Amino acid sequence: MRDGASVEPGEDVAMTAIGTPGLAPSMPLRLAAPGPRLWWLVLPMIVLFVAFFLVPVASLFAISLDHPAAGVVRLHGDFDTANFVRIFTREIYTSSILRSISIAAVVSVACLVLGYPLAFVIAKTEHAGRNTLLMILVLASMQLDTVIRLYGLMVLMGDNGLINSTLRSWGVIREPLPLMYNAFGVVVGLVQVTLPFMVLSLIGIIQAVHPSYEEAARSLGATRWAAFRHVALPLSMPGILAGTLLVFSLSVSSYVVPALMGGWKVQVLPIHVFQQISEMGKWQFGAAIATVLFVISAATVALYRFAAMRGAGGRA
Amino acid sequence: MSESSVPLPFRVIAALGLVVLLLPVVIVVLSGLNAGEYLTFPPQGLSLRWVRAFLTSPTFMPAYGFSFTLAFGATLISTVLGTMASVFLTRSTSRWTGTLRGIFMLPIVLPGLVLGLALYVFYATTDLGLSRSLTGLLIGHVLVTCPFVIATVSAALVGFDLSLEEAARSLGATALGAFLRITLPIIAPAISAGSIFAFIISFGQFDVNLFLSIPNLQPLPLAMYASLRYAFEPTAAAAGIFAIALVALSTIATSRLVSFKRMFGA
Repeated sequence: MRDGASVEPGEDVAMTAIGTPGLAPSMPLRLAAPGPRLWWLVLPMIVLFVAFFLVPVASLFAISLDHPAAGVVRLHGDFDTANFVRIFTREIYTSSILRSISIAAVVSVACLVLGYPLAFVIAKTEHAGRNTLLMILVLASMQLDTVIRLYGLMVLMGDNGLINSTLRSWGVIREPLPLMYNAFGVVVGLVQVTLPFMVLSLIGIIQAVHPSYEEAARSLGATRWAAFRHVALPLSMPGILAGTLLVFSLSVSSYVVPALMGGWKVQVLPIHVFQQISEMGKWQFGAAIATVLFVISAATVALYRFAAMRGAGGRA
Repeated sequence: MSESSVPLPFRVIAALGLVVLLLPVVIVVLSGLNAGEYLTFPPQGLSLRWVRAFLTSPTFMPAYGFSFTLAFGATLISTVLGTMASVFLTRSTSRWTGTLRGIFMLPIVLPGLVLGLALYVFYATTDLGLSRSLTGLLIGHVLVTCPFVIATVSAALVGFDLSLEEAARSLGATALGAFLRITLPIIAPAISAGSIFAFIISFGQFDVNLFLSIPNLQPLPLAMYASLRYAFEPTAAAAGIFAIALVALSTIATSRLVSFKRMFGA
């Protein structure tokens, strides 16, 4: 982009769009000169985001600091910290924060253990068709509606589901195994939903580790496992960190997975947000829990960006 | 290292990972094509009765149609706005581009439940008439789909050789003419890929819908959620088959438009 190039009327995209005459063929080559009119292109998006994203989200945070008033949505400007004091002093909410965080942590580790080998296999698949097929499977399963995938899991894991009814008909068990409507079910659901994000975070960085490093280690007498453990694995650390944090952030903020797989029995933060608002009309308190949820998620994302940046500018 | 040298334990776990990803999808397809009321192992036989039930269902068929229309509208808006914004973000020398880009990407990281709640409260407390309205829901969907269009389109614009456009301009094309005739056809695959992403994100959206639902108009994810809380209706699984087909087709289409290797690879 040339800064300071003179801008004739009608020279840039947005103005031309409203029908001003174009350049004469003899005009000197002062092309694609941006100038302030380039801003017209982004203006609708800025208006949209300020009016319907920044303002609403900021007011939600403001409402979380408003004194609790049942059934009142509007900001009444009676600011105090009562909502947050309540969250951090009542056992039901502190234990929910801990439960949310520990479930998300377990999901992150499980996704890493399952996702790293899958990403590794995809990264090392040289056959173009097979590689594309694997990518399509991972991407399609990521994009498929979460509720549809949970339907499949629930048919599989319910008390009368495929696993339990099959085991019962084989006489292996009498009582159904408690696979669902508990923390275990929520973890399985979240792993299913977030695994593609882990795999996609890892593929690039595993591909970037040049095979010659491992070959060098092997030629110096390292076993295959040692070469992986001491060479390939440390080099893919930035991707591991980024994928883990991304999965954590998605897991901690999911509502639909704990609602269906936990059957409302596993009380995590998003469930509280919905209950406080939809069932009790406690807007200020619900907004405060949403704010806590946002802070946990934002802190994870901040760490993620830090990890991704170090990964981009790092070794290899 | 070639694929044959991937260690065995890795192959086993990778296969397990694929099973975790795909088994629920397979089960939905089987439930929707199952002859009986409940899916059993082994299945009782195939039948199209649930597919027929879906096609005449008073809940799921309209929900599928509504989700499709909503996703189409959201995609149209976010593709146009997102492409315009991407041109700005990749060509402007302003020091604000970084900040703006960061803001436009925020809907990816903000929990959908929080965004839906924020919009719900905002609509309820302002007199814009957006409360429980189609426009209000559409705005929410445009917000969550825009980042995907911007990310895909600006990636293509960054790699675009501006001298092509300059050549057209030097031959007398207007700025818009040069953009439409030269740049647009070249970045068209990325725009299509971005809009397919946007469509699928909107079609499968749950968290944003939850607080913004409109009376008598339920998007498919909410309709399935509502039925799942009480029973496993095979009709819902049949609806799921059509959604799975949509996602599979669009992912295959995307794979022909942009290189996954360039998007996610090194």
